[in-house]
Amino acid sequence: MGTQMTDSHRRFLQVLMSHGILEGSAVRALHRHCCEVHKVHYAHDKLDDFVNVINVHLQSLFMQIRKGMSEDDGRQYYALVNLAETEITKMASDYAENELELFRKTMDLIIQSDNGFAASTSILNLSDQLQSKKMKKKEAEQVLQNFVQDKWLSEKDGEYTLSTRCIMEMENYICNTYQDMVNKCNLCGTLAIQSQICDTCGIQIHLPCVATYFKGQTDPHCPNCNEFWPYEIPDSNTAINQPNSPQLPSTAPKEPPSAVRAKRRAVPSTSGRRPNRS
Amino acid sequence: MAEASRRSGGSGRTPSRGSAECSGGEEQEEMPGEDGNSGAEGNEETRRHIRHKYRELISSVQQNREDMLSSRSNRLTEVLEEANKLFGGVSRAREAALDAQFLVLASNLGKEKASQLHSDMIVFDPTAFAEDLLTFMGLNRLEGVESDDEEDGMANGFLPSDAWQRVGIEAEKYFKRAPTFHYMLGSFKMDPPVPKQRLERQKQKPSTEERRAMPAQLKKMEESHQEATEKEVERILGLLQTYFKEDPETPISFFDFVIDPASFARTVENIFHVSFIIRDGFARIKLDQDKLPVIEPAANEGQGTEQENQSRYQGVISLSPEDWKVQDEIIETFEITDPMIPPSPASE
Amino acid sequence: MEECSFTQTQTPSQVRRNLEKRSPEQVDQKVGEVLQYLLVKDQKKLPIKRADIMKSVVKEYKDVYPEIMNRVGRTLQQAECRAAEEGHLSLLTEQVFGLQLEEVDTKNHIYILVNRLQRVEGDNMRVDDNTGKLGLLTVILSLIFMKGNVAKESVIWETLRRLRLDHGEKNSEFGDLKKLVTEEFVRQKYLEYTRIPHTEPVEYEFRWGPRAVKETSKMKILEFVSKIQNKDPQSWVTHYKEAMDEAATPARH
Repeated sequence: MGTQMTDSHRRFLQVLMSHGILEGSAVRALHRHCCEVHKVHYAHDKLDDFVNVINVHLQSLFMQIRKGMSEDDGRQYYALVNLAETEITKMASDYAENELELFRKTMDLIIQSDNGFAASTSILNLSDQLQSKKMKKKEAEQVLQNFVQDKWLSEKDGEYTLSTRCIMEMENYICNTYQDMVNKCNLCGTLAIQSQICDTCGIQIHLPCVATYFKGQTDPHCPNCNEFWPYEIPDSNTAINQPNSPQLPSTAPKEPPSAVRAKRRAVPSTSGRRPNRS
Repeated sequence: MAEASRRSGGSGRTPSRGSAECSGGEEQEEMPGEDGNSGAEGNEETRRHIRHKYRELISSVQQNREDMLSSRSNRLTEVLEEANKLFGGVSRAREAALDAQFLVLASNLGKEKASQLHSDMIVFDPTAFAEDLLTFMGLNRLEGVESDDEEDGMANGFLPSDAWQRVGIEAEKYFKRAPTFHYMLGSFKMDPPVPKQRLERQKQKPSTEERRAMPAQLKKMEESHQEATEKEVERILGLLQTYFKEDPETPISFFDFVIDPASFARTVENIFHVSFIIRDGFARIKLDQDKLPVIEPAANEGQGTEQENQSRYQGVISLSPEDWKVQDEIIETFEITDPMIPPSPASE
Repeated sequence: MEECSFTQTQTPSQVRRNLEKRSPEQVDQKVGEVLQYLLVKDQKKLPIKRADIMKSVVKEYKDVYPEIMNRVGRTLQQAECRAAEEGHLSLLTEQVFGLQLEEVDTKNHIYILVNRLQRVEGDNMRVDDNTGKLGLLTVILSLIFMKGNVAKESVIWETLRRLRLDHGEKNSEFGDLKKLVTEEFVRQKYLEYTRIPHTEPVEYEFRWGPRAVKETSKMKILEFVSKIQNKDPQSWVTHYKEAMDEAATPARH
């Protein structure tokens, strides 16, 4: 495959940059669109190669296009993420200092919760404890809305969780910061925020992974300890199983700019790893 | 043009000193006798009226500049004709100055309008541009309402909420604007790892957890503001429990308990604090045989299980200083001169 | 090509010698940092001062600044290659973003990022608050150009009032409209807002700012106006001629 970027790659990168994150089918449409606009050969099955050409060039710029799975519905997403934490990245002007503090504290709440959600009331109650600058509840409400709009948080019935974009960019940060408090999904191996937890052995599984793994089973058992799995099995029809493209980074590399390639599998699939015990 | 015709009609006017610099609105009240020597012609009332009319014209021209220039409108001619009529009644320098000011304004507009007509096949008309933009934005024109408000030609109707975004999406194609890059990682400083707090994550039903978590949250939030209140509530609860223990058989009158004969303010405060004790289920209020409220501490020190099943009640107690004095007298007749809740040492 | 004279005190050969003192990785790192800095500063479309790039990022790498900027330009895909006159210090970074770094103030060395690619139908860029603001800006730029490259503020406010925007009121979409137009757009260098001399009461007028000149053109704006008014751009004879003349003249500066 060619390693040279063309205008089709640049347009693709620009559109993805503008959105931050795009769902798989939108990305495939964009791939096609960019190839057509710039009249370069379009091969629908070469999306990940196409993206990799861009990633090679982004490497020295502490940026990367990653592929990841939504914890809500198991769909695949592509996001352009930042890998660096430097004096320069702190100059970002999207949010004020106290807004970022609220975000961090919201993350604390979400991660310390049992189900990966923080109630809006609990978050709003943080607003007058902010060290940088207190916020009125009304302002905090607006800030939360902005976080949702910018796809850093997602909201369901007044409860907030980390959005797919946030997890894709921050996975490494979250694992380092919250060490013992977070777990990887037992099936797909990526960070699990919203998940079901085995009553007996404590392993965690993403809801879409649960859906795929236990699909059609009437008597589900934990893939780790083989105890009965007492939860409702979510519907799996939203979980789209894409053929995996192992060469695309799906999780954060340990040392940002250098280790660009990740080894973990991006998307759980029925053909994926299945412990033998069940 | 109307302008030309009125020039001839206006010949022989006194040239005015102030002309255009003499601003219409701010003109000071006329000094009596200023031009009084010219006598009685044009009485004061008429002249004031003429000046008023001129100022109106001038400000209307200034405010509706674009409308005047619009190729779709003949407002400029209309205002000139109006001024022409007014000028018929002008006999003094002061009114003539206003006329001159108006003329300068109108002739500038005329010049601008004429130059547009000469140089282009079509004239760019901001009013028409705005009209077309409104259409592009998806203006919901109100049916059955005359679309032009004669005052300024504003179209009626409502714009959809994405009106400007529609323009923006179109506009993007005419720009070479760089997309912007946004991120969260690295925008705040990395925290040291959070100490391990959540040992047991499994085996907790969210419902019980939530119930427990909520009050804790609220308490924490209000701690700073309410520390004093909390202390006072505890002190009063202590007193109530002591009184009750001393004589469990005699119910304590709510009013006896809260009224401080020496201070109306403290009485109100006491009621406020007692309300927390009630709300939190550490005590309850009920009515005795005489339908008077009595208060007693809860048997099992609050958090009573029955409280959860009970719906919340709100009670409103009105107590004016007059009421308080009356009660005070009553209490005095019963020779109760000391409050059951002595002022707290902190509030002294 | 005055952009090449980034540091007047250094000759190309000096830069070359300085470059030998640094490892390629160190220079790479700096190039990445400068680029990141440009992207961060562009988040709010604020112009970027060369002095700030020096102070915040380049720091002790001042002696190789021309080379760093040369490579930043390439990464952004700078059309003209500054290295040509700097004597081929071309350690190549690939062209990644399709963006250009343009100098909008040659005296104070102020830069902006602009796109080399034109947006096309079907790009489906994100629609957010900035989309609406761009719409508003385009209307104002249109008025300025069509009124002869300068427009009295009364013209702008009156037209906006017809579009349901009152500059005296808080607007649900744009907040403080007057502030957005006379401060934010001005800071971003889309507009110039200046006092008309000898006016009492004080009057102001608007012109295009240098960012508008770089990001769009008279022809593009005429096309926009034509699209909205459903006319042929050529029917505005003088405007069309002016736009053609501008397109024929290579970038001024």
